[in-house]
Amino acid sequence: MKPARVLIFVLLAALGCPWQMQAQPQPRLQISGALTAGEPATLHLAGSGLAGSEKATLFLFGPGGAIKREVQRGDIPLAGDELRVAGRYLVILDGRRAAFFVHAADPGQIAFLAHPSRVPAAEANAVLGAAFLFDRYQNLVLAPLPITFRLAAESGGAAIERSVITAHGAAGVLMDAGHRSGPAHFSASAGALRADRVVEQVAADPCSLRFHAGRADDGNILVQTEPIRDCSGNAVPDGAIVTFVSLDSAGRSTVDARIKHGYAQAELPASNSATLSVAAGVVLGNQIQWKGNP
Amino acid sequence: MSPHEPSPGVLSRILTGGSASLRLGALALAVALLAILVVPRLLRASLPEPLKSFDISTAAPRAVEENTAVAIERDYAHAWQSLAAALENNRSEQLDAGFAGAALAHFQQAIRSQQETGLSRRIVDHGHKVQVIFYSRDGSALQATDAADLEIQYRDGSRLLSSERIEEHYLVLLTPAENSWKVRSLEEIEAH
Repeated sequence: MKPARVLIFVLLAALGCPWQMQAQPQPRLQISGALTAGEPATLHLAGSGLAGSEKATLFLFGPGGAIKREVQRGDIPLAGDELRVAGRYLVILDGRRAAFFVHAADPGQIAFLAHPSRVPAAEANAVLGAAFLFDRYQNLVLAPLPITFRLAAESGGAAIERSVITAHGAAGVLMDAGHRSGPAHFSASAGALRADRVVEQVAADPCSLRFHAGRADDGNILVQTEPIRDCSGNAVPDGAIVTFVSLDSAGRSTVDARIKHGYAQAELPASNSATLSVAAGVVLGNQIQWKGNP
Repeated sequence: MSPHEPSPGVLSRILTGGSASLRLGALALAVALLAILVVPRLLRASLPEPLKSFDISTAAPRAVEENTAVAIERDYAHAWQSLAAALENNRSEQLDAGFAGAALAHFQQAIRSQQETGLSRRIVDHGHKVQVIFYSRDGSALQATDAADLEIQYRDGSRLLSSERIEEHYLVLLTPAENSWKVRSLEEIEAH
């Protein structure tokens, strides 16, 4: 080898080549473990230049805590309790720092919003359910998971069930109300987790309205409906208002009556010739031509 | 003129002449109408610090009303201000006004452990870009993503341990309380 080449080689060896420096990486912080909320993990310095038994101060900042403690260099265990909150953690050791994410654990609870608490029977898209999945440390579970929503009337009939995959930890559904009036159990479940609410299904508006007329003891016209039901056959609840109208040569008379025990009745002023009609909400009933007799 | 037709002089009397109380009443009515229609939009045009944007166009299944959006912007901005102050001063009571549920419990725990170890965090908030992704039909829950531009200084006593400026991504769940919206969950998520 020529002396000049030997000199260059020696100089490079003494100064250290760039590719030689890259071949010896600086120590860096690494984290291993499930990185799941509540699960332990291990922190270690990777690369060359480790000083095995020396002590150092570990700082760990997370969304639910901050830790400062003396540790032995090398593998440093982090307890599950120190990683209970999902989110970004920053660890600082020996002036080096590293960030890592802890994800939520498996679902441990389900938050369920049901709306409304009372709904007309058979109404389309009337019942809203929204569910949020949290793990047992109250972290929102962001992994997409199926949630099953179920609406079943207490009085029987087919239950309505729908499964929705969560997005950002939440799932929502719009369901048709059942046909039967009475309490309905609305539930959201994910695996073994389940939350229940009760939605009261009430009869909707009357479906058809029929009434008959007769002479009252005092000479007035006694009008009475047949039992009033919605289109699903549910009795319209007491208290709903039915309007009776009489139209004769003297003018128009109107009487409002509340449904009681499933039907409504009222007295209209006496008349020898009148057109009688009935209405409840937007529903019109039959008409009767009154000629002094039914 | 028919007796049912309005007198043409009434309006002109209000505007030009008439009694002073009538004119004052008309003016008050106009101001009230203007306030109802314009103020929410003006308030939305100038977002409270540290919000940079608050996008409600992607809310589903229900749209967020302008007035509701203004209230949420105000309360969410205030929650971040109080969080920054609480983490810096290690005073968890500053969280009460803006946080509830899991978020409150998590940050209270964080501050407790900071107090025990003498650590603290100083957040220099450079702004948030919030996008509403879910607003429940009954208005009882709102979920949003938040891209926050934060400078965080980590301290041990008065010693600065480390400082970083990062874009943090959060998934936020807000629910209405008695007279304000509160952050119920504030979870950092990895950017995709």
